[in-house]
Amino acid sequence: MSKFLQLFNRLLFLLRRKQLESELEEEMRFHLDMKVQEKIEAGLSPEDARHLALRAFGNITLAKEDSRTMWGFRYWEILWQDLRFGARMLLKKPGFTLAAVVTLALGIGANTSIFSIVNSVLLRPLPYEDPDRIVMVWMDNRKLKIDQDIHSYANYADYRAQNQVFSEMTAISQRSFNLTGEGEPERVMGAAATSSFFSVMRVTPVVGRAFTLDEDQRGRDKVAILNYGLWQRRFGSDPQIVGKSIQLNGISRTVIGVMPAGFTFPGKETNVWVPLAPDPQLMSNRSGFWLTVVGRLKPGVTLEQARAEMGAIAKRLESQYPDINASYGVNLVPLHEQVVGTIRPALLLLLGAVGLVLLIACANVANLLLVRAAAREREIAIRAAHGASRSRIIRQLFTESMLLAMLGGGLGVFVALWGLGVLKSFSPSDIPRLDQIAIDKRVLVFTLAVSCLTALVFGLVPAIQASKPNMNEILKEGGRGGSAGVRAARARHLLVISEIAMALVLLIGAGLLIKSFSRLQEVNWGFKPDHLLTARLQLPRSKYADAQQVRNFYEQLLQRLNAMPGVQSAGAVSDIFLSKTPNSTNFSIEGQPQKIGAESIEVPYDSISPNYFEVMGTPVVKGRPFNDRDVEGSPLVVIINQTFAREFLPGEDPLGKKLKYDSLDGPAPWFTIVGVVADTRRTGFDSEVRPETYIPHAQEPSAGMTLVLRTKTDPAGLTAALGNEVLSVDKDQPVYDIRTMDQLLVEKIAQRRFSALLLGLFALLALLLAAVGIYGVMAYSVAQRTHEIGIRMALGAQKRDLLGMIVRQGMILTAVGISLGLVVAFALTRVMSELLYEVSATDIQTFIIIPLILAGVALLANYIPARQAAKVDPMVALRYE
Amino acid sequence: MVKDQGQTRSELLPGTLEMLVLKTLMRGPMHGYGIAQYVGQTSDEVLQIEEGSLYPALQRLLLKGWVTAEWRQTPNNRRARYYQLTPLGRKQLVVEAANYNRIIEAIARVMQSA
Repeated sequence: MSKFLQLFNRLLFLLRRKQLESELEEEMRFHLDMKVQEKIEAGLSPEDARHLALRAFGNITLAKEDSRTMWGFRYWEILWQDLRFGARMLLKKPGFTLAAVVTLALGIGANTSIFSIVNSVLLRPLPYEDPDRIVMVWMDNRKLKIDQDIHSYANYADYRAQNQVFSEMTAISQRSFNLTGEGEPERVMGAAATSSFFSVMRVTPVVGRAFTLDEDQRGRDKVAILNYGLWQRRFGSDPQIVGKSIQLNGISRTVIGVMPAGFTFPGKETNVWVPLAPDPQLMSNRSGFWLTVVGRLKPGVTLEQARAEMGAIAKRLESQYPDINASYGVNLVPLHEQVVGTIRPALLLLLGAVGLVLLIACANVANLLLVRAAAREREIAIRAAHGASRSRIIRQLFTESMLLAMLGGGLGVFVALWGLGVLKSFSPSDIPRLDQIAIDKRVLVFTLAVSCLTALVFGLVPAIQASKPNMNEILKEGGRGGSAGVRAARARHLLVISEIAMALVLLIGAGLLIKSFSRLQEVNWGFKPDHLLTARLQLPRSKYADAQQVRNFYEQLLQRLNAMPGVQSAGAVSDIFLSKTPNSTNFSIEGQPQKIGAESIEVPYDSISPNYFEVMGTPVVKGRPFNDRDVEGSPLVVIINQTFAREFLPGEDPLGKKLKYDSLDGPAPWFTIVGVVADTRRTGFDSEVRPETYIPHAQEPSAGMTLVLRTKTDPAGLTAALGNEVLSVDKDQPVYDIRTMDQLLVEKIAQRRFSALLLGLFALLALLLAAVGIYGVMAYSVAQRTHEIGIRMALGAQKRDLLGMIVRQGMILTAVGISLGLVVAFALTRVMSELLYEVSATDIQTFIIIPLILAGVALLANYIPARQAAKVDPMVALRYE
Repeated sequence: MVKDQGQTRSELLPGTLEMLVLKTLMRGPMHGYGIAQYVGQTSDEVLQIEEGSLYPALQRLLLKGWVTAEWRQTPNNRRARYYQLTPLGRKQLVVEAANYNRIIEAIARVMQSA
């Protein structure tokens, strides 16, 4: 502790050097003046008084000098000396310095950029009050194997009333609204939430107020709160916004508040909040699932306690309402986990990978230093002979290492700045909080710490080695490799072995990721993804109250879209592409016993336009697609996919069979199966294909539809035209999420592409560094053995033998390194198995090919110096000295 | 005691100066001149510090964090640097005083034994 205080004071003194000098001067003058005055008052003459005072004071210069020593400038002088000397030594060997600094800069820079991503994505707390107390409460749907499913209101109400672990819970339904009125109609994302939302999130509006308890009641809920961005953009930050009314989905609502800037929970783009206020029938409904539930843990309650209690309530609800709640559990996920959970393993993997790259870089620099230390043996021995203590020599050498590391670190920050720019340009948009990534104070501290650590790792061993020279021998020997030679060679060999091992681990990891990424590219989607444009529409209930209106709108719109120039065909489907939670319901098949409760099975159902499969390019493998005669009033029809047929009608002809969906209101009608379509991976590449059913939009209209356009030209070029067509059918109807299918699919695999690309890059860097390391060590060893090689040649050794001898030596190191690396890789790649797609973590192919590649590169790095050795002229070599 | 200056000034034991300064500052903040005066007077001028050597000692105390310094007006309206004990300094004084007593007793025992 007091050591730290002293160091701190030393630093303070150093910074205030000038001031200290003048203060000391003044205080001594004061002292003398007082003394003189004292003597004069005692009756002496001014001259005598002055004389006596000076005598009593003693040597002024010495006192000042001693004081300066006390300030510890000597300490800094030594450091300064070491630094200057170190800098001179580095400048003397610019090649060595450049190689070391660049190697370190690459290593440290890569670490800095990955850490700055980790810092802002994983480490920085979420921008809410006590964010670690906020927990997502999901339904664990064991029936559909969806562990983050949404709740019914009745279940939510029971959870909320019966638990003792949450101080407050809120139910949220993500909505999207057509915002109309002044200006263009606009589609805004929003959320309906209970008034408890504000106490769960602990957020208060910056303008106006939050929802009140009575606004949770239907009829009093015609209010809205705006997101800060929307308030700025659409309403020009109007300070008088509170009390004004806006039109959402054709319903007038009074604005009562504006949320703080940056607050967008639950969605990334939540722009508007309205009260949830369900009607009483919906409140008592247990089987309609539509609510995202979030809770704030009571102080002192742990996540485990909450899990236990909520799990118990779920069990109770399961046995209480077996026909609905059977196999529905509860799944608690902390909010932070929810936000960063999917990206965390990839980021940690990358952080580990850059750590390895830096270690390899350190090994290279340590090698360089060992070689240099050998060259400086004499210099160091002479210093020691002149009385430099061992600690003084270590300090000097270590200062040089520190200097190298700091140069590398400084340059590394620039490498990181550049690297981050590149990273951001191709990183996936679904990395949470990507926009906040920056090199902040914490990142810089990290870089500084890593640089110091780096200096310790690469500098300490060479410094200690070099500081214990056997002086007699070195000074006597007159120049050629001293006694430390053997020891240093062993150290260099160990470094090379570990470098190769680490590079192999990285290469295998990258190989696995790249292989799984290429598997992804070959996924059979079950439809033709090219030349497809998709867009989403949601008709407001206020304007399209009955089914006929909805039907008319889509019929009219699809007619226009089909006639659009550049469009081959246009269709529509009610579900959203690649959504993990499709609309689904229980069903039963005619002639099969009806399954209820835990036995019951859900299937997704989708309303489609008759030409949907044709537009998507999904083949109808049996029966027929829908046609214009499948309308309201005609017999109800359904098309199933192959998985449905396989699972529920095995060995039977599905055509003509009937199924019905369990609906709440009244007896459900039977639908006749008229066709079977090929399976598609509509919910994403990484989930298994599930049974699916399709019904004609004309018979079962849906207000929300996804438009799909098969285009003749580049689909992205039709975006604006599509919007205009929609407006010409209804001028208040916005269309949103206009994307090409290629874009949608790329977004889905972007995260994997990101990590595969980066890990590949790091592995390549590691390979390069390791190759340079082997080359360096072998070249040095050959140079040292010139004499020996000359003798061997003079004694009749053939070039081929020499080549073999040296290459063999290098390849033994390589082989040891590779075996070590294989063992480590075998143990380590398991941790990345969740990042792999249809590739085993111990994929044989990868574990064979990658070591061969590495061995090939190592062979090359060995061969070049070996050939040099074989070219040695024995006469020159023998004279060499 | 002969009070002929320069002849019979007693040399201080090494390290004693710091202890004397700390002890003096127990009475309250004081400037360098005042410390020298006080030590001289209370020891009946036996302990005549070479006053210049006071200053490196004070710098050391500052560095160790045992005293702090502050510029203030003297009663005669001159600017002077006042030193003040820190809690750390108080503790140190206790340690040094104990050490000092041990040594004095040891010396005394040796001197009496003859």
